[in-house]
Amino acid sequence: MRIEHSCLNRIGISLAFWSCLALSGIFSTPASAQEADTLDKETAAKVFPKKPYSPYADHNYPTHVYWGDTHVHTSYSMDAGAFGARLGPRDAYIFAKGNEITTSTGQRAKLSRPLDFIAVTDHSDGFGFFPELFGGNSKILSFPQGRRWYDLMHSGQGATAAIEIITSFSQGKMAEGLLPLPGTTEYRSAWDETIKAADEANEPGRFTAFIGYEWTSNTGGNNLHRNIIFRENGEKASMVEPYTTQKPLGSDNPRDLWKWMADYEQKTGGQVLTIAHNGNLSNGRMFPIIESFTGKPIDREYAQTRAQRERIYEVTQIKGDGEAHPFLSPNDEFAGYETWDKGNLDLSELKKPEMLEFEYARAALRNGLKLEKELGVNPYKFGMIGSTDTHTALATADEDNFWGKTSSSEPSPTRATHPFVKTDKAVIMGWEQAASGYAGVWATGNTREALFDAMQRKEVYATTGPRMIVRFFGGWEFDARDAQTRNPAEPGYTKGVPMGGDLRDAPAGKSPTFLVAALKDPIGANLDRVQIIKGWLDTQGETHEKIYDLAVSGNRKIGSDGRCKTPVGDTVDVPNATYTNTIGASELITVWKDPEFDASQRAFYYVRVLEIPTPRWTAYDAKYFGITMPKEVSMKGQERAYTSPIWYTPEK
Amino acid sequence: MHGRTMLTKLLREPLAHFLLLGALLLFASNLVNRRTSGDTKKIVVTQGEIEHLEDTFTRAHQRPPNEEELTGLVRDFVREEVYYREALALGLDRGDAPIRQRLRQKMEFISEDVAAQTEPSEDQLRSYLNSHPDKFRLDQHFTFSQIYLDPARHGRRLNADAQQMLAKLNNAAAKADLSTMGDPFLLEPSSQDVSARDVARDFGEKFTAALGELPVGKWQGPVESGLGMHLVYVSKRTDGRIPQLIEVLDAVRREWANEYRLEANEKFYQGLLNRYTVTVELPQPSPERKAQIGVDQP
Repeated sequence: MRIEHSCLNRIGISLAFWSCLALSGIFSTPASAQEADTLDKETAAKVFPKKPYSPYADHNYPTHVYWGDTHVHTSYSMDAGAFGARLGPRDAYIFAKGNEITTSTGQRAKLSRPLDFIAVTDHSDGFGFFPELFGGNSKILSFPQGRRWYDLMHSGQGATAAIEIITSFSQGKMAEGLLPLPGTTEYRSAWDETIKAADEANEPGRFTAFIGYEWTSNTGGNNLHRNIIFRENGEKASMVEPYTTQKPLGSDNPRDLWKWMADYEQKTGGQVLTIAHNGNLSNGRMFPIIESFTGKPIDREYAQTRAQRERIYEVTQIKGDGEAHPFLSPNDEFAGYETWDKGNLDLSELKKPEMLEFEYARAALRNGLKLEKELGVNPYKFGMIGSTDTHTALATADEDNFWGKTSSSEPSPTRATHPFVKTDKAVIMGWEQAASGYAGVWATGNTREALFDAMQRKEVYATTGPRMIVRFFGGWEFDARDAQTRNPAEPGYTKGVPMGGDLRDAPAGKSPTFLVAALKDPIGANLDRVQIIKGWLDTQGETHEKIYDLAVSGNRKIGSDGRCKTPVGDTVDVPNATYTNTIGASELITVWKDPEFDASQRAFYYVRVLEIPTPRWTAYDAKYFGITMPKEVSMKGQERAYTSPIWYTPEK
Repeated sequence: MHGRTMLTKLLREPLAHFLLLGALLLFASNLVNRRTSGDTKKIVVTQGEIEHLEDTFTRAHQRPPNEEELTGLVRDFVREEVYYREALALGLDRGDAPIRQRLRQKMEFISEDVAAQTEPSEDQLRSYLNSHPDKFRLDQHFTFSQIYLDPARHGRRLNADAQQMLAKLNNAAAKADLSTMGDPFLLEPSSQDVSARDVARDFGEKFTAALGELPVGKWQGPVESGLGMHLVYVSKRTDGRIPQLIEVLDAVRREWANEYRLEANEKFYQGLLNRYTVTVELPQPSPERKAQIGVDQP
């Protein structure tokens, strides 16, 4: 029964009356039930034993990369709903499986290819708020704010309502008691529906639907959101309700979230992981050295818990890319891709350059080495994934099939030139949204357990949308021949560790070697180059970074400084929103040895793969709608992948 | 034994559920009536209600409420009950849009839940499968090996190189060593019994279509994919087909239940609607308005 216990009495009399009338056959079965020769489940299982998904099941290493999105909002999120999302968790799964669906704005949408997994992660705070608000829940309407938003939405001004909701939430101006809190029936029924939708959509071996939510810490508009993913099914997840950020029930401090995770695991015997939202809107708070909550330097306990709880990080998504910033990496000509650096989430505070170090992934990986030396633990030893953070229930990251951040930015002639966020301090335009973020996961199968475990061991990588295959192994014994074998995974796993792994205690006189391989997306663009980004801590305690080009397409040369200065070229035809694969390579494979290795210095290495330039979603919009974009709108870009790093740690 | 079958069958009838539900609710409402009858109206907070309050609190806080908190919860429950009853007595529920919508939603929930209780028979599922074969059609499956030729490495020699390799591969006497042929490649060299959907996911649609056409048991090619060129050996191909019920039981049940649910909800509503005579009193229409109505109701 879905009606809540406490409501039974209230509607009892009338219902009973109706149900007596039901004799007249309101509910008749289409056909009578048959008892004879019903299928016996056991027999069925014997006749059709379940084959493992992977055809390479005799290999004990992952042979397949699975594609997914760990960050999908639906109408169950208060802001998504207010922005016009009408699709719920069930719709998100139907769409991710590759089915055509009618979007919230009434358009038909379908993915180019199904995804292998997604997690629906609606906001912890205000869970189920929106359906209740839209439906006119009397409790919500009893608040002047609630009444105002209800009226706005029902008079076609949903976007205004959405902005007001987000702002009042992040500025702590939402009336107390307005949001459904854990324990209330509104909250509970939304959480139950979320769980049920995931369990129904989950098809082990074919499609994985994770149960999840997003803990929405956003005090002062500084985004510290984190997604929580459950390894198990609804039986365990329903023993708890999402952890919220408002006191006294919840907290906006990640330390308290980690405690909640530990409590969950202890109570249920299950496992949860958390993935921090791209830190680019945290205004210097995502990767702190000084904790914003206490003003004190982070301690060993923080470092230890964070390293244990936050093993992967969302480095790229629709609200910008967070790998590297040109201010921090002036020598990296590829930094600055889809950068959002005007302010925090609601643009209530502008960005200052000194904040960047504490919100971009590469800088955090560097600071992690420093902190490890001081505290004995590296708090920022994370793997990298991309995800969309869509608020439309549509997990799209393809430039030619981009459905926007919110339902109000679904395809339309005006979505690019309409402000996305606007305050008296700054404005972010619609065209600045990035069609970005999928997670590639090297797992042994497409199940909740296998994918979860792969994420925990960081054998994952981020892409800005294309599904290129990237392998990255580190060891002491790789040589050029390993790049010539027909199946590079064989030497990779035999002689080294995969992405996310560790190298320790360099053998005397040895430098680390890396086997790196990238294969283009079968329906996507060719590859420009494969790079390794190295970061290290010198003896003075200062960190450094350096970029090496490992392999480039065509006849271009890599100089003695490790860089190829010749660009790959450009075939993009902006007016027609096309490009050709006449430049670039389908595949790049190589073995690389660190030429400047010092066995006494901590270091990390990660791979960045760049595609040749392709049209950006704005070019597809301009073509389709026959509009001219203002000249500041960027119309093309080089999509990319970032792998989880491999770390080197000296013996002492 | 037969009686038991009858009972099981009866219990599967949605109508039976509905009646059972009705009986339970009548019983419950009698309890309420008994509690509220008499001169002084009574509110009894039962043990069950207290447990429910404790339960919700515990789920949210991951700990049970302490004494003080529980007292607070109960006090609030009573307050709500008093207001609720008095509001009903004053008719405050009437004409209130949110309350009407919420009640409508509850009716829809009930209708959905009753529909969800219905278990289909095997015959029903079989006939559903027969009438919707395309929803359940099984993909073509392939067992194949491939050798990759990177266009960048071979350039204009690609076709010649491919023909040379093919000759070697198809010459049993030459005993070609597969592990040394072709270029390094990130996808597995051999795939066992994979569906067309999964081949397309890795190699693209074009390659998958080609795989469906190639003769079995011989090296062929070069075949183009989204990644480059391939020499291909298909050792087994299983054609797509309409599955037996037993193979897709869960999927058929899911689809059947969804369709049944939609139908049952509509029937439920139509059944209720039949009890009413609906008269729509349109205002005296202006000419434009009249035209508009004409469009809306063709």
